[in-house]
Amino acid sequence: MPCEPDHLLLRRFASARDRGDVEQARQLWEQLAINNFDRVQQIVKAFRFSPGGPRLPEHEHGSAASEAYIRVMSMGANFRKREVGQFYAALVTCVQNSCRDFGRKELRHERHVAGSVDRTFDPDGDAGPYDAALAAYDDHLREQARDALDAERGRVEAEGLVAWAIGQVRNNSYREVLELTWFRKLSAAQIAGELGISVENVYARRSRGGKEMERILRDLRS
Amino acid sequence: MTSDRDQILSEFIDAWNAGRRPDVDDHLARVPEQERAELADQLVSFLSFAPTPDYDEDALAAIRAEPIVADALAAPSTRGGLLPDLLVRLRERLSWTTPQVAGELVRELGLPDDQAGKTASYLRRLERRQLDPSGVSGQVFEALARLFGVPPNELEGAADLGGWASGPARARTAMAFRADDRDAAEAVSEDLELLADALHAPGDAARDEVDDLFLGGR
Repeated sequence: MPCEPDHLLLRRFASARDRGDVEQARQLWEQLAINNFDRVQQIVKAFRFSPGGPRLPEHEHGSAASEAYIRVMSMGANFRKREVGQFYAALVTCVQNSCRDFGRKELRHERHVAGSVDRTFDPDGDAGPYDAALAAYDDHLREQARDALDAERGRVEAEGLVAWAIGQVRNNSYREVLELTWFRKLSAAQIAGELGISVENVYARRSRGGKEMERILRDLRS
Repeated sequence: MTSDRDQILSEFIDAWNAGRRPDVDDHLARVPEQERAELADQLVSFLSFAPTPDYDEDALAAIRAEPIVADALAAPSTRGGLLPDLLVRLRERLSWTTPQVAGELVRELGLPDDQAGKTASYLRRLERRQLDPSGVSGQVFEALARLFGVPPNELEGAADLGGWASGPARARTAMAFRADDRDAAEAVSEDLELLADALHAPGDAARDEVDDLFLGGR
């Protein structure tokens, strides 16, 4: 049986949790974590302490991925969101916090006081890089609800945070390529055929569109 | 104008979407050194919100067999869930010994320094799956979370996959495990280190604040 998509697993997880079926909720979260193991592991490998900055030392990749994966598994007990983009945002925050903690190891060891050195968890502070985007997306959902445009609200909820962010990309040609990449999972060659453009053009649009999408998700405060 | 970097990013995306489990390092190695940082940032951006790959059965089986995943999947059926593994990893990342964690913990909890030994004993038993975390108080989880710099709900979630269990169920479990804890202390009495721990182990006769913190429940 092919793998069940994350958005369906998350919906079933939320339903199981809400009706008190803890065993099924646990199993569904476990499946979500399996689906996302590569996401965890590959983010650890690509992680930089700042844009363009140093990576984690290679010998720490396994330990960091292991800790991050356990923390993602543990997140399920208290996870209350229903939308897959919100799940990914929480997962990325968790993985990047684990990576940063590994980077601080030396300093913490020297000072011998873990919690006082640039703590990753601050109950009153920003928990993750996508918080502003999540807040804006929540506002968007609330606005839709206030306007009582039920059909539109349903569409937005179904498409989710990622679709919303792609919808904010101003350049039509970038947006088109991102939609075909994310929602139909077409390869670069297939997109080139569908849009009647060169495959090199698809590479460039994906790259630039992806950067714009990232900016939208990170920089909504401005 | 496209670049090799754009092409390699696209190839990663295609492989990901097709469920072929691409490797970041392999792709980074294909661009010149000076372009690796930018490609790494773009890969993180993609991976952060990438769609679920189309994994087939073989790919899912391979993921389940990854040591990190296999260990994590086995943990919920054992005492303490994922908490023992997580505690060990967090402690080792800081290069701390258990007595060092205990020393910091008693200060966080406002306990006298002479309770550090007994606290270390409880921490060892938690790490060795000899103590059920459903008996551990929220104060201890919060203090450990502050020490390790992680959200408290991650530790509690690791403990019993956590908010999974209802309050009354947790309380019943905690009560049941108190008897087991005494059994566990007896079972390890041949181990010299644990024998020393057992001197600090909880007893009905002289239960103190540390016992309550580790056995009283959340």
